[in-house]
Amino acid sequence: MSGVRRFLRENSLSLGFGALFLLSLVGQAFAGVADLNDQRVSDGLDPITLGRFLTSSSFAVDVMENWQSEYLQFFLYIFATVWLIQRGSAESKKLEEAGTESDEKQRVGAHAKRDSPPAVKAGGWRTAVFSRSLGLLMGTLFLLTWASSSVAGWAAFNSDQLGSHEDPVTWLGYLGHADFWNRTLQNWQSEMLAVGSMAIFTVYLRQRGSPESKPVGAPHAVTGQTG
Amino acid sequence: MATRKRRWAVALTGAAALLVSGCGSLGADEVESVAATFAGAEDDPAARCQLLAANVVEALVEGEGASCEDAIADLPVGSGDVTAVEVWGEEAQARLTDDTVFLTRTADGWKVTAAACRSQGAGLPYTCQVEGS
Repeated sequence: MSGVRRFLRENSLSLGFGALFLLSLVGQAFAGVADLNDQRVSDGLDPITLGRFLTSSSFAVDVMENWQSEYLQFFLYIFATVWLIQRGSAESKKLEEAGTESDEKQRVGAHAKRDSPPAVKAGGWRTAVFSRSLGLLMGTLFLLTWASSSVAGWAAFNSDQLGSHEDPVTWLGYLGHADFWNRTLQNWQSEMLAVGSMAIFTVYLRQRGSPESKPVGAPHAVTGQTG
Repeated sequence: MATRKRRWAVALTGAAALLVSGCGSLGADEVESVAATFAGAEDDPAARCQLLAANVVEALVEGEGASCEDAIADLPVGSGDVTAVEVWGEEAQARLTDDTVFLTRTADGWKVTAAACRSQGAGLPYTCQVEGS
């Protein structure tokens, strides 16, 4: 197998979803500008170009409001699954493992191995930060994208306000406005539904070969097994 | 001018967000110029009509049963100085000392979509005697 083919195969999960993400984003851009221009023409306004749409608050808020909820989902899931368990679920740890677990199980401190990451062998704050780095990154990305969503939403809202001959509002005013919370919560609720559904569905349903599922023959009551 | 304050608020909220949101004050100078020209053309209704969006001209002609020039000459469009400009995406608002004017970006530049507007209070749309249908 050539080097390129091996690279593609060994990274097919991240590359595959990266490609799907880009294709979806391009599709959203074209569908979004067509939808916006339909509205503008029916309002007696000139259509805008794709380039102008891509730098508009309208496109930005549609992208950011989805990104923030996805990162919130993973941030909460990563942290919640440290403590919360679901009997029989492939998404849950074993019932007796709730919590941050022992150093031995986590291979930190005196239990670090030769092949452990350097931050683990370093000890101190580096190990403490590395031990939480996945959740911290997701949490940071959530806060950044949520803040971006609020600014883009504010701009889009004010554009609509002016279009309907109303005064624009301040950013703080927008944070207290129903439009911001409607955009935010409609995304959050769908993410929580997806996580909760997945936790329960994997108790009783299987997907042969998927690490997100228990082995097909595993009993429903067995918790924390993945296939 | 309010636009300058808004620039700072946006910058503080995050340069990255600003980049993607496209909500900067691009076009504020053009809007101010068009609004000032529109307001200053008190004795030149033809010039004012040229600065109106097409659907506004249409609504004026239909609503007043007269030419755009005759119709707009009879309406209380402000002629004062521009005191503040807000630009959000393709839409803008210019406050005059004696009126509030709304504009939209078109292929031919900024055009007025509403004038002779009076505020109805916070959270309510202005009532405008010059506007599209």
